[in-house]
Amino acid sequence: MSQLVLQHLTKRFQGIVAVQDLWLTVETGEIVSLLGPSGCGKSTTLQMVAGVLAPDVGTIELDGRLLNRVPPEKRDIALVLQRGLLFPHLSVGENVAFGLKMRGVNRVERERQAIAMLRHVQLDGFAQRHPSDCRGGQAQRVALARSLVIHPKLLLLDEPLSALDANLREEMQELILRLRTQTGVTMLVVTHDQTEAVVMSDRIAVMFDGCLRQVDTPEQLYRQPCDEAIARFMGGVNFFPAIAQGKNWRMADGSTLRSQFPAEGMIQATIRPEQIQVLTTAPTGRNVLPATIVANRFVGTQRRLILATAGDQMLQAWVSPTLEVAIGQSVWAYLPPEALWCFSGAIAPVESSLSQPVTGN
Amino acid sequence: MGKHGFLRNGLILLVIAVFFLPFLPLLIWSVAQGWFFPQLLPEWTAQHWQQLGSSTSRVGEGLMQSLAIALTTTGLSLLVGLPAGRALGVMDFPGKAVLKLVLLMPIIVSPLATLMGIQFILIRLGLSGTLLGVVLVHLMPTIPYMTLVLSSVFANFDVQYETQARSLGASPLQVLWQVTLPLIAPGVMVGALFAFLISWNEFLLTFFVGSGQVFTLPMVLFTLLQGGNNGLVAAVAITSIVPGLVFLLIASRSLQTSTALGGLGNV
Repeated sequence: MSQLVLQHLTKRFQGIVAVQDLWLTVETGEIVSLLGPSGCGKSTTLQMVAGVLAPDVGTIELDGRLLNRVPPEKRDIALVLQRGLLFPHLSVGENVAFGLKMRGVNRVERERQAIAMLRHVQLDGFAQRHPSDCRGGQAQRVALARSLVIHPKLLLLDEPLSALDANLREEMQELILRLRTQTGVTMLVVTHDQTEAVVMSDRIAVMFDGCLRQVDTPEQLYRQPCDEAIARFMGGVNFFPAIAQGKNWRMADGSTLRSQFPAEGMIQATIRPEQIQVLTTAPTGRNVLPATIVANRFVGTQRRLILATAGDQMLQAWVSPTLEVAIGQSVWAYLPPEALWCFSGAIAPVESSLSQPVTGN
Repeated sequence: MGKHGFLRNGLILLVIAVFFLPFLPLLIWSVAQGWFFPQLLPEWTAQHWQQLGSSTSRVGEGLMQSLAIALTTTGLSLLVGLPAGRALGVMDFPGKAVLKLVLLMPIIVSPLATLMGIQFILIRLGLSGTLLGVVLVHLMPTIPYMTLVLSSVFANFDVQYETQARSLGASPLQVLWQVTLPLIAPGVMVGALFAFLISWNEFLLTFFVGSGQVFTLPMVLFTLLQGGNNGLVAAVAITSIVPGLVFLLIASRSLQTSTALGGLGNV
């Protein structure tokens, strides 16, 4: 068991708060991502866990052992930094064996283990190569092998996929997930890239301005984000004000939508663009908004449409690329009740735009 | 390839000629009995080189003292320059630019201006005329050089390598030996070369602080020049080049590695 527990974690730099009262538990064998824009404090958190920075307040525990005063080399936590960061004066094999050498393992044994670990990351016969002969994905895999060969309790990964191109990303992601199954190692990933976090993690911890805002499964973060900022960060684009009376939400233009989630008062409603269904013939039933297509962009796997509803509300809908529509065409947008989500306490400019139609009615 | 190779070889020959031709008369003098106008070639002799080895010429003594002083100076300036260069290169702190400028002061200010004060203090400390005293004054120009060279080496050094090594289980001392020093070795070689050569060629400070009791190779040469034995002077002059060349050869080997010269970009 290797459970990471962060409590009250706080770090300031010259009075400016970098991380504010962070609480997070990573269970044994779990992959958790710290996700947030640059400067949100996620790297500071990583550095505190790794032992590079000391927290001002709070505790770091791994397996019930308090790590605050433990030097980095005695923490059983291995780092995989961006682009792999292989030691350029050592061969690939020596790089992988580095941690074993530091632990006084003899040469024969550490070479044997290094070669075995290289096979694990599908780099057979790379031991003699020089790091400069490794391409992006390979360097990263060597770095993974180098960290795993010392059997750490926790693996810290700093943007492991963001330097790779699309195909390599998928390969790397699969490799990481497989290594997790094989070794049972717990992982904490730091990234600013939401797709990277979504494809790799069991849970994602979203951070803004030094504060942890939501910790949830990727699905949960997509479907039920805590607030508009998180929703936007997770790729949300459709936000509109409404007045909720239970499950009936009235939009600014007076039309009423039915949602699965009851709410009360002024809300900011949202729906993910891929959840909106666009129909070319008028359907019957609830939650259908007549609309006109104002933009149509084909992006390969999707067709991205911008719709203007009768109430002049703009909605983005990502639909099947085979749907044939044209700009200016009248269509019907179906907003499934289970896909409609909302935040209470709508922000100021939204309230003002909402007030007029409400009093008008 | 053929044409290019030819051109390149020609250029190399030209460079060799320009650099080494000035030394040719020196070489001839060192093996000449005497070499005066109508003679095209002098009469050959090995006596100057034999004299070099004899104890009366004091060349051997000078060589050993020079070597001891230069190596100690290099070692001590490395000891100070490594941590200082790391601090200047890696850390950010107020007044860094000013500090770098202040570091240059011992190089900018002529030693003539400070000599009297230095001599006064060294006499009071009982270090005047000792090897230690000479090493101390040699450190005045070498430490700034070493620190500045190493600070730019460290400015190009990614400290994340150290973080990475620590996380893999290396203690701070292991990080220094296994990661930091191998990675900055080319820069360290350059700094050491500078320090060694500055100390090796130093005359003025040694002359005054050594008070005639510390007898380095430049002292030997100076004395011999006044003696007027051209052949012996030439032999000593050639000898004085050798350690620098040897050092350069050792250094050039580590300068050829791919990680090298990174630090030299903004020296």
